[in-house]
Amino acid sequence: MASETVPTWEEVARRYGRTIYNFAYRLTGNPDDAADLVQEVLLRVRKGLHSYTPGSFEGWLWRITRNAFVDEVRRRQRRPTSPLPDDDRIGGSPEPDEALASYRLGEDVQRALLELPYEFREAVVLCDVVGLAYEDIAEAVGVPIGTVRSRIHRGRKMLRELLT
Amino acid sequence: MNHPGDLLSAYLDGELTSLELGAVIGHVAECAECRVELEGLAGARAAVRGLPVLDVPPGVVPVPEPARAVRRRMPVAAWAASVAAAAAVVLGVLAAGGGPGPAFDLDTLVDHHTARVVVDPGISTVRGPAGSP
Repeated sequence: MASETVPTWEEVARRYGRTIYNFAYRLTGNPDDAADLVQEVLLRVRKGLHSYTPGSFEGWLWRITRNAFVDEVRRRQRRPTSPLPDDDRIGGSPEPDEALASYRLGEDVQRALLELPYEFREAVVLCDVVGLAYEDIAEAVGVPIGTVRSRIHRGRKMLRELLT
Repeated sequence: MNHPGDLLSAYLDGELTSLELGAVIGHVAECAECRVELEGLAGARAAVRGLPVLDVPPGVVPVPEPARAVRRRMPVAAWAASVAAAAAVVLGVLAAGGGPGPAFDLDTLVDHHTARVVVDPGISTVRGPAGSP
C-alpha cells in the first residue's frame, strides 16, 4: 500500500481481515478468540483511522492489532470465572479441539507455538505468519530492532527443539 | 568472528546489513556447528511459514459484498452497457404488457370510479361517493 494514501475502513477490513484473523489464531490456537479479536481490531481501526497520519500504515495497523490482542488477553485474565465463559459457546459453535482437528496439517506446529513464551511467539508470528519486516515488528511491539531479532531467533530455536 | 547467534535468523529473513552478511557467510562456511544450527532454524522458520492460511469464519469481517466491490471498480464503458441493458429490459416489459403500466395516480383512480358510478349508480351507495359529481 502506498504510504501516502489513507485506506478506508472497508479497505482495511477487506485487505487485512484474514491476516489479522490468522495472527490471532496462531497466537491463541482458538478460532472463537481469533474471531473476537478481528472484530475488536476493526472497531479500533474505525475509531482511529481519522487520526492516522500517513506514514508506515503496516506499523500503525499492527501496533493497534497487537495492543488490542494484549488488552483482550489481560481483560480475560481479570475475569473471576473461567477464562472463556461465553454462553453462546455452549450451544452452536464447535469446541476449539474439534475446530483444530480440521486443521490437522499444522497441529504439531501450532501446539509448539503455544508453548513458546508470549514475547517469542508474538515475534515469530509477526515475522513468519504476518510477514512483517523487523522494522515494522519493532514499531508494532514497541521494542528496538535488536530485541526483535533476538526474540525471533530464540523463538525459532525453541520451536526446533519442540518439533524434533 | 564469534558464532553469529541471532544473526543466523536475521540472515534467513534477509535482515542483515551487507557487512553482517559477508561476515555470517564467511563464518558459516568455516563452522560446522553453525551450519547445523542454521539448518534447524531454517526448518523451524519453514514450519511456521508453511502453516495453512485459515479463512475467516463467515460474518466475522463486515466487508462489503463482492458484488458491490466489483461494481465500484467497473469501468465506465461496462457501466454504460449495463445501464443500457437494464433500460432495454424495462422498456421490453412495458411494451409487452401493453396496459397502462404502473404509472397511475389518484386522479386516474377517481376518474375510473366516477365513470363506473355513472354507469351503475348502485356502487356509490355501497362504497360511498368517490367525490362530488
